[in-house]
Amino acid sequence: MIRAEGVTKIFGPDPDSVPPLLKQGKTKDEIQAETGHVVGVNNASFQVGAGEVFVIMGLSGSGKSTLIRCINRLIEPTYGKIILDDPEFGDQDIASMDEQTLRQMRSSRMSMVFQHFALFPHRTVLSNVVYGLEVQGRDKAEREELGKKYLEMVGLGGWGDHYPNELSGGMQQRVGLARAVATEAKILLMDEPFSALDPLIKVQMQDELIKIQRELDRTILFITHDLDEAMRIGDHIAIMEAGEIVQIGNPEEILVNPKTEYVANFVEHADPTGVITASTVALPFKDRHFEASGEEQDVTYWHRKGYPEIRFGVDKDGKLKRMTFEGNNVSIHALETCINEADNAPARHTDAAVYCQEDTILKQVMRGRAYSELPVVVNDSEGRMTGVIDEPELINGILEKRGYAQDD
Amino acid sequence: MNDLIPMLGGFLSDPFELFNIPIEEWVTQFVNWLVDTFRSFFRTYVSPPVKAVMESVQWLLTSTPPLIFLAVLFVIGWRSASWKVGLFAIIAFTIIGFMGLWDGLMVTLSLVITAVLFCLVIGIPIGILCSRKDLTYTILRPILDIMQTTPPFVYLVPAVMLFSIGNVPGLIATIIFAMPPTIRLTNLGIRQVPGQYTEAATAFGSTPRQILWKVQVPLALPTIMAGLNQTIMLALSMVVIAAIIGAGGLGLEVFQGLNRLDIGQAFVGGLGIVLLAMVLDRITQGLGDKAPGNRAGGDE
Repeated sequence: MIRAEGVTKIFGPDPDSVPPLLKQGKTKDEIQAETGHVVGVNNASFQVGAGEVFVIMGLSGSGKSTLIRCINRLIEPTYGKIILDDPEFGDQDIASMDEQTLRQMRSSRMSMVFQHFALFPHRTVLSNVVYGLEVQGRDKAEREELGKKYLEMVGLGGWGDHYPNELSGGMQQRVGLARAVATEAKILLMDEPFSALDPLIKVQMQDELIKIQRELDRTILFITHDLDEAMRIGDHIAIMEAGEIVQIGNPEEILVNPKTEYVANFVEHADPTGVITASTVALPFKDRHFEASGEEQDVTYWHRKGYPEIRFGVDKDGKLKRMTFEGNNVSIHALETCINEADNAPARHTDAAVYCQEDTILKQVMRGRAYSELPVVVNDSEGRMTGVIDEPELINGILEKRGYAQDD
Repeated sequence: MNDLIPMLGGFLSDPFELFNIPIEEWVTQFVNWLVDTFRSFFRTYVSPPVKAVMESVQWLLTSTPPLIFLAVLFVIGWRSASWKVGLFAIIAFTIIGFMGLWDGLMVTLSLVITAVLFCLVIGIPIGILCSRKDLTYTILRPILDIMQTTPPFVYLVPAVMLFSIGNVPGLIATIIFAMPPTIRLTNLGIRQVPGQYTEAATAFGSTPRQILWKVQVPLALPTIMAGLNQTIMLALSMVVIAAIIGAGGLGLEVFQGLNRLDIGQAFVGGLGIVLLAMVLDRITQGLGDKAPGNRAGGDE
């Protein structure tokens, strides 16, 4: 949907003097001290797929707000291309669009939500929501109808006639969101939209954004300085430091595999239980970690080295068919079916085991372990057993954010 | 050598004797040139529209029966500020009426309204222009300073030379004297609109014109209204002074009273002017407070 190629923004009187210095490997601070030029964004390249939530995250001053403003040219990028590929219009470079096309793109193809809401204080809530439609030149009846629909969607149906200053911060940002989605633009730029909100409201708004995004299928470019927020809503995350993108990946990749020390520091205190998946921490079901312990009819039994009391009976396709604990057969349940029971009556079973999918997050696995004392079995999408998660794997996953036996 | 010593002595005792900048002559020559060259232009193209507007306003005000006028005044005061202001306006105008100055009041009011109309029509666009182009404001600023700080009497002489005596030259002088606050505060109001609003408007694809009319002007309205308030006050004070060159109304009462040493007449005229000023001030302040842009205050 959007492809940024080498986007660079240099603030100062003579930006062309700066790239050679960057090539020499001078840092942003050195360049600022020597020439007075500020490197806002340096050579940022990334790709946002249609319908995904792409998060750009970094501390203040890392250039993330500058970068997002380069995308709709509220700030003119000094170098680089921003390709908008839309089957309807073909490939277009936003960086070289003329004024007229740019305005059309802003009004109907790419809208924006701001950190401090930036609702027009002299307009009612409804007339704020329809602002973009007004600029598009839609007639009044159509505007009102659409405006009311989107206001309804963000849960502010009855507030159309109020003024923004009569609303709480959370409600104001709902209006900001409604204003942005009402233009029916496919791309939504969100500049730290929830940073100014209370923590509780923030989480609520994140959930709502995810819901709205699923409903409307928009592509979202989201800026934040909050890692937990990035992990919660992002399909992909780009981490920025001093104007440069230092790593791009999905939340788990970034958490498990930080490329630089900066990223590592960033993710150190992140809560991994909602991000890391079962396959990452599971002990792989491989010969190195397991030993055969007998055969029976159609299955071969295996046990983890050192733990012969728990045996996994796997058929020739690699599917788990039976499990025994201290010689007794154990019933096997899907994680989803027993989570509720575990929550309601926390009695840890030794006569029942649980299996989950490779992409099940740690949080769920832990709840499974509350139901059963036996290791959680991880299955792939075909139902084949690929690993098990016992206490050591769980503890390592949470503390070290990686698998206990990832060495192979 | 012998001559030099007394010369030096003279220079030390009075250094400004040595040289004289003939600004007085230059100005006289400039005004004479201006009058000779442009008198017919001003009299054919500037006087008639001003006169036409003034006469229409005056006709409207004087042909309205006083009771209806008071009723309308109450509604204006009530809608723009509060019912208290409406009531105050009625009381003030009634007092002026019972002092026997109703006709003079109507003349003064029509002069003020005419002058303010021209100030707005000319001043607001210039103010907008100033807010968009720094250069315009840089050039205009000293001119505005001159317009505003020159003692009002000084306008009267060239005004008379260009337009002869009467209401019209008084009005022209008033318009020039009262316009600067409108220009200044329009410029200031638009420049003060927080960048986040214009940025948001830009991000939604607004044209510069849409940003101006949908965002900047509405948000600048409280400030523009403050400019209007100042312009009205300046216009009122100038309209009174313009009585010297034959403008009518309450100012004429004061002027005549002073000429005849009739303190009573001068005081009554003066009281009428004060009451009118208070009414106009309350009404325009109310307008500013009610301007939609004022909601920005409670935003963050």
